[in-house]
Amino acid sequence: MGFNVHFDWTGSIGEVILGATKSDGGSRRVSYRIGGGTTLPFLDKNPSSPAPLIAFEICDNPVFWSPIIRNYCGELVNNLQEWAKAGDATYGADMIRLYLTSTRQRNFSDFPAVGKAVETALSATSLPLIIEGSNDPKIDSDIFQKCGEVGQGERLLLGTAEASRYRSIAAAALAYNHALIAQSPIDVNLAKQLNILLREIGIQRDHVVIDPYTGTLGYGFEYSYSAMERIRFSALKGDTDLAMPMISSAPDTLTIKEVREADLDGQDDMAVKWEFYTSLAAAVAGAEIVCVRHPKTIGMLKLAFASLKTGTGSMEVT
Amino acid sequence: MALKALDIYKLLPKKNCKECGDPTCLTFAMKLAGGKADVDLCPYLDDTSKTVLGATTRPPIRLVRIGVGERSFAVGEEFVLYRHEKTFYHPPGILFKVSDAQIPDEIASVTKRVRDESFIRVGADLRFNGIAIENTSNSADTFAKSVETVEKMADLPLVLISSSADALTAALAHCGTYRPLIHAATNKNFKGMCAVAKQHGCPLVIKARHLDELGQLAKDCTAEGVQDLVMDLSPASLRDFISLSTEIRQLAITRTAPDLGYPVYFDATAGGMQDAGIVIGILKYASVIVTNPLLPSSAKAALTLRQNVYTDPQKPIQMNPGLYRVGTPGKDAPVLMTVNFSLTFFTLEGYLESTRIPCFMLIVDTEGLSVLTAVAAGKLNEILVRDSLIKFGVESEVSHRSLIIPGYAAPLSGRIEEATGWKVLVGPRDAAEIGEFLNEEWKK
Repeated sequence: MGFNVHFDWTGSIGEVILGATKSDGGSRRVSYRIGGGTTLPFLDKNPSSPAPLIAFEICDNPVFWSPIIRNYCGELVNNLQEWAKAGDATYGADMIRLYLTSTRQRNFSDFPAVGKAVETALSATSLPLIIEGSNDPKIDSDIFQKCGEVGQGERLLLGTAEASRYRSIAAAALAYNHALIAQSPIDVNLAKQLNILLREIGIQRDHVVIDPYTGTLGYGFEYSYSAMERIRFSALKGDTDLAMPMISSAPDTLTIKEVREADLDGQDDMAVKWEFYTSLAAAVAGAEIVCVRHPKTIGMLKLAFASLKTGTGSMEVT
Repeated sequence: MALKALDIYKLLPKKNCKECGDPTCLTFAMKLAGGKADVDLCPYLDDTSKTVLGATTRPPIRLVRIGVGERSFAVGEEFVLYRHEKTFYHPPGILFKVSDAQIPDEIASVTKRVRDESFIRVGADLRFNGIAIENTSNSADTFAKSVETVEKMADLPLVLISSSADALTAALAHCGTYRPLIHAATNKNFKGMCAVAKQHGCPLVIKARHLDELGQLAKDCTAEGVQDLVMDLSPASLRDFISLSTEIRQLAITRTAPDLGYPVYFDATAGGMQDAGIVIGILKYASVIVTNPLLPSSAKAALTLRQNVYTDPQKPIQMNPGLYRVGTPGKDAPVLMTVNFSLTFFTLEGYLESTRIPCFMLIVDTEGLSVLTAVAAGKLNEILVRDSLIKFGVESEVSHRSLIIPGYAAPLSGRIEEATGWKVLVGPRDAAEIGEFLNEEWKK
């Protein structure tokens, strides 16, 4: 018989480069070129992208971090340098994502400290970095200016632009040649709108990673899953304003009831499984970067992604 | 290509005899067009029309029921590749696997767990679906005894995994009338397997390496008289499963390969990555998933993912409007108003619980719309808030007159104050910040 499946795709996902090595003027040991997909995730015969990549999320003030991670990582969380290093060398992440949680206090103005935190992360690991700015629009401009400047030449991924606040981050990305994350609330049209706004102020398509916002498994994940599928579908159908790689992070995972109220001796396992199920499903929907906070999730995801990328990991039963 | 209702109507007798169970030929035609009725229900169709209609109006993926009674489940009858195109209709059955080489106590305890364990979330009772028994002992007698052990404990759907027709026959003596799924017929043994399946009226898994072999096997088995088929794609890896299963779904729903229009079976235990297998199985069109008994963590995550993916994307999930309590709030406890979109409710409730500040949640009826959409659509307005305060008797529950509204409802704050006479505090946009807000703004 012989079957042939046709999807009639005409478009492909645009490529974005994250991290710069020495030859490109940075100090990273690796630089990722993500995107490039021409069909649904994991169906490309010869995928050019190294995705999905696993980003390990850390922060510079652990008061704002889940107690589950504080317990598991212990003293590490109070030492940004060591925490970032462990994410790379011990836990085996592909990227480190630093949240500048220290800025989440009233009238924050210690911008040099922010620069210092980014410097620390850059020196602790030679993996490409994602830097998450402030929660407060009033200080965006100073924060992103500082992050952009300190990371100059490193091709950071800066987060996070939203429709109501994208100018400061865009300015920093433009001035220092970084990529940025464009987040919209689980809606393909809003994602497109924001990408157009960014384009109009001069951000090139190959500097944008879409974050369609990931609701945690059990708390709206299905909406995010479909938003990601629709974005990928639109891109493959030829809509260039949606043809960027996607990032998925479900920030509420460690605070939902199932994880928070799990038996103490099973809590790490619950956290890991919840992150794993969410991240893997997001990758299947088209996310090229998935972000996790529990170190143990990284190993599990790596195994699964290895099987999905290369087809290794035999499933022969008998 | 699928026919339109009017094209189908032209082929029908137009007698409006009602013998098909529908009032008119036109309504029957509409059902056929939607894949919701069988052409055989019409007694007056000639064979040519039947063939034409049968091929185009049958659901593109056959509905197959496994088990009998309350816990039985049906899979198949799917129409789309993406859930957002319509919805996925029949969630996959997830069955725990045991081996007949295990001692009866172990088998019994797994059976008991599947029988009794349930996990309630968003108002639904989530359960695993049945037991898959594998004939690893190679003894027909042992296999039959294990099946008997399971049967004695529970009326659960079963998968009987054996390559021996004798072992299956011995097992079916115990459960043959309960429609267990038989695994599996191959191009070598299909005649014997079909005979066993046919004798007991059981659904049958067909297993082959390539899609054309599967299609051929499906033809051979239906010719032998077994119509309820499920396909095991023998994937070499998770990647291979995604690719085969996606191809089959696409070929089936476009009716390019009607011989592949059957639900898919997937053994997630292979390859040592069971959790990954379950995720991929649920997302990529598996209808019967077999797994080793899962840890509580994986069990909850798997059932939740299945519930999420098989939720109808066209219907917002709603809470009943009303006044909900978090902890045991007193007369001075804060009152937080929000919409009846259930995700908004559960997210906010989760964060409120972790603040450990007892409070009231006033849930108003926005027909399941989120705050942002309800404000934009005018569904959330001062009249609704005023009426809800009265309807749910909030004034008699608290001694103060302060209402906390969601950050995204800030544009309504003035109008709500005027309409209700309550003082309005605008809360954060993000529920995650509600603890901080209550500590700083409410306690002042």
